[in-house]
Amino acid sequence: MSVNPLDLSGKTVLVTGATGGIGRGTAVLLSSLGARLIVSGRKLDVLESTGGKLCGVGHRVSTFDLARLEAIPEWLSGLIQEIGPLDAMVHCAGVGSLLPLRLLRTEHLEEVMSVNFYSAAVLTREFARKRAHREPASIVFVASTAGMLGTPARTAYSASKGALIAFAKSAAMELAKSGIRVNCVAPSYVATEMYERTMASLTQEQLNALVENTQPLGLGTPADVAGAIAFLVADTSRWITGSVLAVDGGYSAQ
Amino acid sequence: MNTAEFCRNLEEVLDLPSGTLKCGDVLAQLEAWDSLAVISFLAMADEKYSAVIPPKRIPECKTVDDLVALIRETGK
Repeated sequence: MSVNPLDLSGKTVLVTGATGGIGRGTAVLLSSLGARLIVSGRKLDVLESTGGKLCGVGHRVSTFDLARLEAIPEWLSGLIQEIGPLDAMVHCAGVGSLLPLRLLRTEHLEEVMSVNFYSAAVLTREFARKRAHREPASIVFVASTAGMLGTPARTAYSASKGALIAFAKSAAMELAKSGIRVNCVAPSYVATEMYERTMASLTQEQLNALVENTQPLGLGTPADVAGAIAFLVADTSRWITGSVLAVDGGYSAQ
Repeated sequence: MNTAEFCRNLEEVLDLPSGTLKCGDVLAQLEAWDSLAVISFLAMADEKYSAVIPPKRIPECKTVDDLVALIRETGK
């Protein structure tokens, strides 16, 4: 008899940002491992497309804009009332930013911090409520190597992802006794819509330099990141919390 | 958009003293014109002139005047 250590049968998982490349890839993989998914994002048509790719039945699609921080508690508690407590939450929602320091405005900082970090903090607080989760539970944030290593023109993005990593470590300590593990994956350059949008302001030469000279294993795919997330959601990582798993083709090894 | 106003905006994002840029200035001869300057120019063109410029068009530009023409071509 074969055993799948990543089996997620009977688990309910919320995936935010499921309209983006990593969120969509994660939702599809987790469903193929047996999980029941709640996928969220801002755009209904794209979200429904993700929902259509999921394996199995019983999944839910929920449109929501996480920039509406004050509305998160009601939205999440409504979902939980409807489908029961969550076993895991994967926060993939995020916004890219490529802007030199000289052009940085507080409004831009606020927008990036709000989507990439504040929403994660509010979601975690709500997930940690007793009726919202079922032990043992797992939270995974999609951070970035930018949160650990410096890159020109990415100060706002780096700050938001660095905050996310620091938040995850403290939340992991605070929630360990509640049976909730909190970890991050830290991808570098991955072939997603966000990558294409963010990098649209770079020339081909700059792009080549970024990827070929920095990632020995080349450009990553959403599936590469989804695999690492599945590991952190499943019981395979039951003794891992507060960690940051680099999924970066070797970017941070240099 | 007038060219003088554009030059002041470009000076601002490139951190050059006011009045130093001229229409015919050759970009390759400007010490401040590097990869970060290109990103800055693209962001400024979008913010100030609603011009979303494909980065692959940048190598076509040899002078400050060429940048102005590109914004006029792509701006709203």
